[in-house]
Amino acid sequence: MQRKKTLALMATAVSGSLVLAACGGGGGPASSGGKISDGKVVLGLLNDQSGVYKDLSGPNSKVAIEMAVADYKAKYGDKAVAKDIEVVQADHQNKPDIANTKAQEMYDRDKADIILDVPTSSAALAVATQAKAKKKLFIDIGAGTTALTGAQCNKYTFHWAYDTYMLASGNGAATVESGGKNWSIVYPDYAFGQDMTKSYSAAVERAGGKVQQKIATPFPNDNYATFITKAAASKPDVIGIMAAGGDLVNFIKQFNQSGVASTTKLAVGLMFITDVHSLGVDQFKGTTFTDAWYWNFDAQNRAWADKFMAKTKVRPSFAHAGNYSAAMNYLEAVQAAGTDKSDDVVKQLEGKKINDMFLRNGEVRAADHNVVHDVYQVKVKSKDQVKEEWDLEQVVKTIPANEAYAPASPDCKM
Amino acid sequence: MSQQLVSKVDVELPSEPSLTARRPFLRWVGLAVGLLVVLALPWYIYPPVAMDIAAWALFAISVDLLLGYTGLLSFGHAAFWGTSAYTTGLIATHVGLPFPVAVLGGAIAAMLLALPTGYLAVRRTGIYFAMVTLAFAQMVYFIANQWRDVTGGENGLQGIPKNLGGMTDLINSDAFYFYYAAIPIILLGVLLAWRIVNSPFGRVLVAIRDNPARARALGYDVERYKIMVFVLSAGLAGLAGGVFSVSHGFASLQELVWTTSGKVVLVTVLGGIGTLWGGPVGAALVVLLEDRLASSGFNGIGIITGAIFVVIVLAFRHGIWGTARNGLGAWLRSRRRTREDV
Repeated sequence: MQRKKTLALMATAVSGSLVLAACGGGGGPASSGGKISDGKVVLGLLNDQSGVYKDLSGPNSKVAIEMAVADYKAKYGDKAVAKDIEVVQADHQNKPDIANTKAQEMYDRDKADIILDVPTSSAALAVATQAKAKKKLFIDIGAGTTALTGAQCNKYTFHWAYDTYMLASGNGAATVESGGKNWSIVYPDYAFGQDMTKSYSAAVERAGGKVQQKIATPFPNDNYATFITKAAASKPDVIGIMAAGGDLVNFIKQFNQSGVASTTKLAVGLMFITDVHSLGVDQFKGTTFTDAWYWNFDAQNRAWADKFMAKTKVRPSFAHAGNYSAAMNYLEAVQAAGTDKSDDVVKQLEGKKINDMFLRNGEVRAADHNVVHDVYQVKVKSKDQVKEEWDLEQVVKTIPANEAYAPASPDCKM
Repeated sequence: MSQQLVSKVDVELPSEPSLTARRPFLRWVGLAVGLLVVLALPWYIYPPVAMDIAAWALFAISVDLLLGYTGLLSFGHAAFWGTSAYTTGLIATHVGLPFPVAVLGGAIAAMLLALPTGYLAVRRTGIYFAMVTLAFAQMVYFIANQWRDVTGGENGLQGIPKNLGGMTDLINSDAFYFYYAAIPIILLGVLLAWRIVNSPFGRVLVAIRDNPARARALGYDVERYKIMVFVLSAGLAGLAGGVFSVSHGFASLQELVWTTSGKVVLVTVLGGIGTLWGGPVGAALVVLLEDRLASSGFNGIGIITGAIFVVIVLAFRHGIWGTARNGLGAWLRSRRRTREDV
């Protein structure tokens, strides 16, 4: 017994002294007096590299960001403030806890000055929390939640490409104006679906249309047959589907098989060109949706998409273009500020009016850091209209920035 | 199978095989080394990751208490981990209490939830027990998903503060300090598990696992013991979940989804069931692997973790720790035998 006690005491003493010794060895974080912290600018890309969002953003967004870095260097040459620029990436697997840890790690370890992309709303909000705590920049491109520029907004977080409000106001109102007055909305019963339904209903009613039915489905869901029958029962002009990803694919296949497709138009809440490409245009038959950017819209978009395709063999989604635009404008802001200090860069970005290959009539709103710009109501082309592999969308209408986005939310307090 | 049963009867407790029983100093050496590793971890591993390992270790131990010591496979432990994560977050956010108090509140909430769950689930064994626990976990998941005003739904509960009286600024400044502030809670949980296992109560649990009919014949109320250990296990999972949510500053649906229940069973089996040490070993492996692979640029994390799981289950039936311990035991025995021969 005595021996046991001695040993236990010894164990505690040894571990205790080791910890103390270790404490002495550790140094504080190194502070840098230069204009560029740690001598270089580090851009961190945090997104889904292996799961459902891999194609619409994923590894190809790194290519887009590297293109921005190359263009920045070419533009400023010797005058560039940021001489040494590094791009690091990590896979958050769409899990908020991993996104949160990886974001901390990027800011602390990799000395990232900014984190880009971050699809999946819960993961994006987790990174925004870290950006606020670490006082480093975060520009979200891949997530749709309006909370990023609403109740959860902060000084260092910007929302670049799209949000659920803009998706609804674009396609919802435009569809009503072109004759689709009566709607049935089918939505998955979770935050994204509920938000989208609320936004879509409001947009449809603002434009003088009517939402006859709102039908909740489980999430995730495989069998939509009963929901499609129910939605068609009120003889609507338009059925709106607010599901995304795999659920959307299921719904569209079953919608086409149901026979409802011949009498009713389909409006999709959120869709990427990669979804259309993988399903094939004949599954859609004139489906409309809101797109933040389309690669074949004009010569400027196309020129950039050609450069992108040379490196990746695919055409860019709006998320890829958004990543380029966000990275480029960040570097421009660093150039203008003459430093990568977060507060100075934020000051440069706030209120900035931007016209580039991604943003048209764009503005970084100072009040809530939502980056508003012109968006497009697009229609999926029919098979005989498709001239080349990725030319899948036809822009029906351009929706000006001030109509597409909600005014700054009163919930947002910087 | 019969051989295994015989060996279990021979050995008093699975966590204390003849090896440490014969050489008690080995246990103290093990404890000292374990404590050293725990205290030195954030020096070698990025502190938030070290915190994740510690939280997952206690979570795995809580599952092991059921799986390894009582023979009950719970497939819904995410419910307790997640319930505590949310409760802890709500207490810390709205009441502003120091985080250890909030974590304790979370653990109590998890135990309260475990009472009715356990009451219903212990009436069944094997796959039916697993299904009942899974069903309860799914219910909790959907409640959290729908109750958006409180839980934030899909977006999760964001911005949980780390409060600790006068040390609030210190633990917020660096995850390194938070680790040392929170690790006592985890160690307390491990100590509790150790006490449970090495108590008369723990012996009854093992008896129930090996032969419930006999335990009942000896006069033990088997159902009541099972409910008690289920609630205790939920409490430990709750402690771990609470620390996890404070460490990350949020609680999300990820904490409640059924894959989290699956992951913790995987972690426990990888490390080795019925060992207590197995949980931490498995947790360290899985969390580190996820962390490293996330930055590696390799686009198929599931393939690697899945392959490792298959290899361990097929080749090392007792898990990493169990295999290592058995190997050491066999080596020491054979050495002694040769010495005696001479």
